[in-house]
Amino acid sequence: MPVAVTVPVLELGLGTQEQRIIDAALACIGRWGTAKTTLDDVARQARCSRATVYRLFPGGKEALLDAVARTELARFFGALSRRLATAVTPEDVFVAGMTEAGRRIRDHQGLQFLLAHEPGVILPRLAFARADEVLRHASAFAAPYLERWMAADDARRAAEFATRLTLSYSICPSSEVDLTDEESVRALVRTFVLPALGPSSDPERGPRP
Amino acid sequence: MATSVRERILEATYVCVARYGMGKTTVEDAARQARMSRATLYRYFPGGKDQLLAETVGWEATRFFQRLAAAVAATPDFATMLEEALIFAHRAIEQHEVLQKVLQTEPERLLPLLTVESDRILAFIQSFLEPLVARERLAEGLTAPRAAQHLARMLLSYTAAQGRWDLADRAQVAQIVRQELLAGILRQP
Repeated sequence: MPVAVTVPVLELGLGTQEQRIIDAALACIGRWGTAKTTLDDVARQARCSRATVYRLFPGGKEALLDAVARTELARFFGALSRRLATAVTPEDVFVAGMTEAGRRIRDHQGLQFLLAHEPGVILPRLAFARADEVLRHASAFAAPYLERWMAADDARRAAEFATRLTLSYSICPSSEVDLTDEESVRALVRTFVLPALGPSSDPERGPRP
Repeated sequence: MATSVRERILEATYVCVARYGMGKTTVEDAARQARMSRATLYRYFPGGKDQLLAETVGWEATRFFQRLAAAVAATPDFATMLEEALIFAHRAIEQHEVLQKVLQTEPERLLPLLTVESDRILAFIQSFLEPLVARERLAEGLTAPRAAQHLARMLLSYTAAQGRWDLADRAQVAQIVRQELLAGILRQP
């Protein structure tokens, strides 16, 4: 049953030229990181002139990197939302969400390059005070998909709990849990997430009207 | 109490980081603070400044969790121990002046080192929890190492970022522990 949920991310509606430059920048970052990527590299990769890059991103490299980050976040949550919309039980919402997130994090070349070679660029956006923002954003995004089965506040709480698990296994992988493997995630969800659901939730019952 | 040369160097480096920050601290500064020659310091830390900073972060992180372990040693039961651990860790991080200063001014230097350390930190918390977990009646099919690892991850997660909760509020902490942390772990009566 499809569920109508407003996705709290920017709908980017970018022109194709702009999008091509952003994708080119992303390819460069996946290859050699942010520090070594120049606007010349990006222009060459996008097969346009440097002047075009500057015209579309007047703020230069900083502005372009920001646009890359925004685009990638929008893609990430867009993909998650398509996955979550097809879930038919709360268990499915958790399993689909955590697996999709786990795979996208693992397969994202740019992100993985930064984590491995330029952690100083990426980690300050994810840790401590910024982790609060990540938790808030991710749980606000995921909660509506759970509200079919539980009260809004319990949905928020459960979404944050699942986000914490996803972040933990993404940052410190374990030999026992593979976030990219659906069965492994299902076992994790059954063991630790479903028992933590709030009093208002009843996975046995059908969706709330 | 005798402290090893290594320990003296790490402590001196920590003092320098508190004073000058990670970027500006030099091997020279650390040697002067520890009252030894640069040559002696390099004998213990041949990797120079990078190694010195990485090991100082690990050293302080270990001390942090030793203080935490001591703070919760006298609690009457497992759930209360977890509550005390969360409350203590949250407060200790907020009041950790050096950590807060470095997080404000040079997170790009600290966080990569802390992330490298996090495997070791997780293992430390897990090994601390495991014998305690083993005494509890665990949910069907759950082993003590598995439960302890999950708890260690979650404790670290809440400590680093409280999210929607207020970890200074004892009632909320009790709710986290009973409803989230222990939910899948203890056998339901």
